[in-house]
Amino acid sequence: MKRTAPWLTAIVLVLGAIFAYPAAVSAQEPRTAELTGFWLTTPHPELAIRPGETQSIALTLRNSNLPPQRASLEITGVPDKWRWSLKGGGRDVGAVIVGPDASENLNLELTPPEGARGDRIPIKIRARYGNEVAELPLLVSLSDKPEAGLELKSELPALRGTASSTFSFKVDVKNDGEESLFNLAANVPEGFQTRFKRGYGSEEITGLPIEAGASETVTLEVTPPRSAAAGRYPVVMEVSGGGASAATELSIEVTGQPEVSLTGPQERLSGQAVAGKESSFPFTLANTGSAPATDIELSASPPSGWKVEFEPERIDAIAPDSTSRVNVKITPSERAIAGDYMVNVRASSGPVSESAEFRVTVEASTAWGMAGIGVIAAAALVLGMAVMRYGRR
Amino acid sequence: MTRKGSPFKGAMTIAMKEAADHMTSARMHLIMLLVMLSATGAVYGAIGRITETTAEDPFLFLKLLTIAREPLPSFAALLGFLLPLVAIALGFDAVNGEYARRTMSRLLAQPIYRDAVLFGKFLGAMIVLAVALLTLWLLMTGLGILFLGLPPSAADVVRGLAYMAATLAYAGVWLALAIAFSTMIRSPATSALAALSVWLVLTVFWGMIAPLVAGAVAPIDPLDPMTMVTQYETQQAIARLSPQRLYGEVAAILLDPAARSISPLFFDQLQGAIVGAPLPTLQSLLVVWPQLSGMVAAMILLFTLAYVAFQRQEVRA
Repeated sequence: MKRTAPWLTAIVLVLGAIFAYPAAVSAQEPRTAELTGFWLTTPHPELAIRPGETQSIALTLRNSNLPPQRASLEITGVPDKWRWSLKGGGRDVGAVIVGPDASENLNLELTPPEGARGDRIPIKIRARYGNEVAELPLLVSLSDKPEAGLELKSELPALRGTASSTFSFKVDVKNDGEESLFNLAANVPEGFQTRFKRGYGSEEITGLPIEAGASETVTLEVTPPRSAAAGRYPVVMEVSGGGASAATELSIEVTGQPEVSLTGPQERLSGQAVAGKESSFPFTLANTGSAPATDIELSASPPSGWKVEFEPERIDAIAPDSTSRVNVKITPSERAIAGDYMVNVRASSGPVSESAEFRVTVEASTAWGMAGIGVIAAAALVLGMAVMRYGRR
Repeated sequence: MTRKGSPFKGAMTIAMKEAADHMTSARMHLIMLLVMLSATGAVYGAIGRITETTAEDPFLFLKLLTIAREPLPSFAALLGFLLPLVAIALGFDAVNGEYARRTMSRLLAQPIYRDAVLFGKFLGAMIVLAVALLTLWLLMTGLGILFLGLPPSAADVVRGLAYMAATLAYAGVWLALAIAFSTMIRSPATSALAALSVWLVLTVFWGMIAPLVAGAVAPIDPLDPMTMVTQYETQQAIARLSPQRLYGEVAAILLDPAARSISPLFFDQLQGAIVGAPLPTLQSLLVVWPQLSGMVAAMILLFTLAYVAFQRQEVRA
């Protein structure tokens, strides 16, 4: 690099007349690399902090082109009753070693007491290395003006429920900045529906004004799709407005739930039967939920004198999105009259149950019809015999 | 001596001639006028009732025949009462009238058997009755369309036709009875009176006689509630000896699709039943099939009686 730099510069200077702009950029880079020394720097040497709060000021020790330097740090000018500490890597530090061409980051934490006043308080930070001293003067002012910012706090950031339930998060939004209208947004997995409401209100909102320093409670309602599989889903709630924004991460856990549906033969809920005779109806049990339905028991409440049997009488398990076939054998009472009867068929499995009203049309027995035709035939036979005996006179 | 050919040869000729004679006779005109007027009155009353009270009904044209408005009975009840009169008017002098006019020997001088004469007379009167009933039903349906502003549904038409067929069988019973009396009794006036008294007893007084006989045959034991059921069933069985009762039951089931039974019902039979759900027409027919076949069989047997009596008679008077 060192050797190529002048050579590069020469070329660049020749071309500089033609390509003025790119030349200027490339020419700057090598010059910084040439600097040699040891510095103590901070991005904001003059700053304002709020009393009663711990503020951290980022400090950088930079060693350029020097052997490793041990720098012991001292701070002067911090007013009495102010608490301060130097933190490096999370610990209190008093000295730092910076390798060649490296930099070390430190934090100066200042905590002015509540009610402290002052303007442009000079604080000096010295780093003694070798026989030399790197000095960084800071001018710290105290201001009561709140810093612009938003804070989101969720009471219960993780909720659990079934796919059919509504998850509702209460989130406190604290506005540390100017009064403004804040937009609300939620980032949810596809298919999930979200609604924002203010506190315990019922109106759906998309944004709400918050006064400076005030806080509002926002209710975020998340409705997962019915088909949501069991599992954990992240929800990110974002609030933005007035130049500030904040986000909080929430999570919902959907537990699976079986859902059993009972449909009759060919999706119909009616059938025909003859009094006193068994008729079989193929019913279909389907699990449309997200968890397997287990131990499904089948029962029916038929009119008195009727017999309803199931084949099989109970089903051990139905996996989600699968079906099972049940034969329902209905025997109407011997004395059932022609017409429609209601039979209630139920399938229950632990917490879920499903019932179907099955309409059975009892048909009149054709035995009497046969007997009637027999009577007419007998009468016709008598007439025929009379014709044979007395006919043709 | 055996005779050749079908005994029914010429029966249709006689039937058509008989029908034509009846159609043009003053007797038929008068009695049909009576039936037509009272039926129109009954249906007109029913239409007024329906337009006042019924909002919507899938079987409006059946209601037309069953709803009654004071002082007239319903069309179905009227038909059950008056139709026997029409049948008796057509048949009371079928055979003895020929003797009275001294036309029987002339009739039998034609190349036909005696069988054909009686069959032809019965069939001719049945044709007239069928035509009259069909006309009556079409007239009432037309009246309904005109005043209700609705066409009859398919179920209305099918049930109406089945009801008319049952009515024809009912009229046939009375016709066969009248013809039987006309063969057995020589004087037309006496046979007419005999048929009318049977009609009066069976339609008016039978409803009182049946409970009386049932009370004597199956008395009620106050300690045994089942005896009440037995007595009611006995009474029903005796009452069903009257064709009017059979016809009433057939009409009740055929004209009311929601009616499911004509026997006494126990509560357990009604548990879970959907009240008011209409029965398919075929099921309604099955419910009253015993009554229907009973009427048809009675008609055939009464005719056989007349036939046997006529065949054994001395016709050379």
